[in-house]
Amino acid sequence: MKPNGKKLELKEDTTIRERVLNIFRKMKKLGYYWRLFPAVFWLVVFLALPLSVMFIYSLWTKVGYDMIPTWTLQNYLDIFVRKEGLYLRLLLKSLGMSAAVTLGSIALAYPVAYYISTRGGKYKYVLLALIMTPYLVSWVILILGWRMIIGHNGLVNILLMGVGLEPVKLWKTWMAVILVLIISWAPWLVLPIFVSLEKIDRTLLEAGADLGASPSENFRKITLPLSVPGLLVATFFVMIPTFGEFVAPVIAGGASGATIGTAIEEAFKRMNYPFGSAMSFLLVGIALITSFVLIRKTGLRTLMESL
Amino acid sequence: MLRGKRILSTYFYLFLLVIYLPLLFLLAFSFNNSLSAGFPWRGFTLRWWEAFFSDPVAPTTVKNSFVVAVAVAVVATLMGLGLAFVLVRREFRGKNVLLSSLLVPIAIPFLLIGTSLFLLLQRTFHLERSLLNLAFAHILVALPYSSLVLMARLIGFDRSLEEAAQDLGATGFTTFRKITFPLIRPGIFVSMFLTFIISLEDAAIASFLAGSDPTVPFFVYGRLRRFEGLPLVMALSSFMVLIALAFTCFFLISAIRAKSE
Repeated sequence: MKPNGKKLELKEDTTIRERVLNIFRKMKKLGYYWRLFPAVFWLVVFLALPLSVMFIYSLWTKVGYDMIPTWTLQNYLDIFVRKEGLYLRLLLKSLGMSAAVTLGSIALAYPVAYYISTRGGKYKYVLLALIMTPYLVSWVILILGWRMIIGHNGLVNILLMGVGLEPVKLWKTWMAVILVLIISWAPWLVLPIFVSLEKIDRTLLEAGADLGASPSENFRKITLPLSVPGLLVATFFVMIPTFGEFVAPVIAGGASGATIGTAIEEAFKRMNYPFGSAMSFLLVGIALITSFVLIRKTGLRTLMESL
Repeated sequence: MLRGKRILSTYFYLFLLVIYLPLLFLLAFSFNNSLSAGFPWRGFTLRWWEAFFSDPVAPTTVKNSFVVAVAVAVVATLMGLGLAFVLVRREFRGKNVLLSSLLVPIAIPFLLIGTSLFLLLQRTFHLERSLLNLAFAHILVALPYSSLVLMARLIGFDRSLEEAAQDLGATGFTTFRKITFPLIRPGIFVSMFLTFIISLEDAAIASFLAGSDPTVPFFVYGRLRRFEGLPLVMALSSFMVLIALAFTCFFLISAIRAKSE
């Protein structure tokens, strides 16, 4: 009995140790996850919570300088009916602005990225840095520079008058907003497009040439389709922020620069938080759906590598 | 063929000229002795630069911008590191939910981050508008960038190097310091740079969260909107442009030096 008992004890001893070790290992494994904590905390407190608060306020009603919890959808309805659909028109105007700015800035950036990728040689990164520099500072800061170029007494008008033509009104027009935004965004888009062009296998182009394709055919049938991921990432980068743009419309557009972004800013300035929240929340929905479609198409991997 | 090439390079230099044009105009006309910001040229003066440096608010905006941007770059990169390690190296329930919510801050316009945080911090918690609030918001919008950059770096990471170090008796911390960190260092630099720029650039969020202590873009936006003191704004803008140009020169020189070594 005795030796047997001793054996049993020993065995139990090891299983207990085993168990303690297992628990310890599990804790260590779980311990790895503390790394998530700060970011998750941030996403909950500074993203999920404010968006929920904004949604709640969007259901309230403004009375005087206060808000009362009424739980109504009137604010959302107001976007479509108030001032004969003015806000709906502003929303559509913003979406149109986004589309125009996206197309315009990609069209400006693509040849630049193509030039750097194919002809940059060993100076590729120097050229990229040169392109990015002007926008290390906010383009808001550069807007006075633009005013001196396309403003009332600006370079363009001075040149026009110099050759005997009538000066044109560019500043404080919708054109100016679009123009300033397009030129401001273009340098940022050079990078993602450049990255996708760099990934194209050169041997494909050689094979195309060997099979008798002209350079322009090669470009249309190989380079352009293969750079689509970069174009989608670029679209994501411009389109989403431009939905809510209000700085350029206010400064460069003046009275004709009203967008949904300026309407939201205005509503918040006038302390009409419920209506501002409703407009904001509608825009959140539109932006999220657009982003979802774009990211689905590009894939997270491409997005990561374009940064 | 040759003509196409020439058109392309002409276009490239034209593009460079166009994007540098506003910078050059700002720099030149900040020395213009005229109350209207811009043409016509009325002679050289330093008075706008003097006005800028002796202004009680304008120089502090530069400091504010940089303080917030540096804090945001450091904190967002550290948080991004934590996220990137777990997201790349572990499988767990809710991973996809976390990944998609991580993208939300850049999947909606900055304006909406501004309005929603304004409602939470100022209207619900009744906090004062401050640079701290602004930094909170900037960290949020910088987080997707820093974690994506670092995730990309970690995905291409050869883990056998870490295992080898541990087999040779290195502790967890030593492994990180000697193996992991040097390998992801470029990613950390890119992340810090990107998040720094994102914070430095922003006027939209700042216009909702920053108060009497503005950052540069917010200050400039306010002045432009009220159309006041524009020559001073030109000096301030030029000052920022000079910093940007100095930074690029520094970057280029160190890159060229690194190559020649």
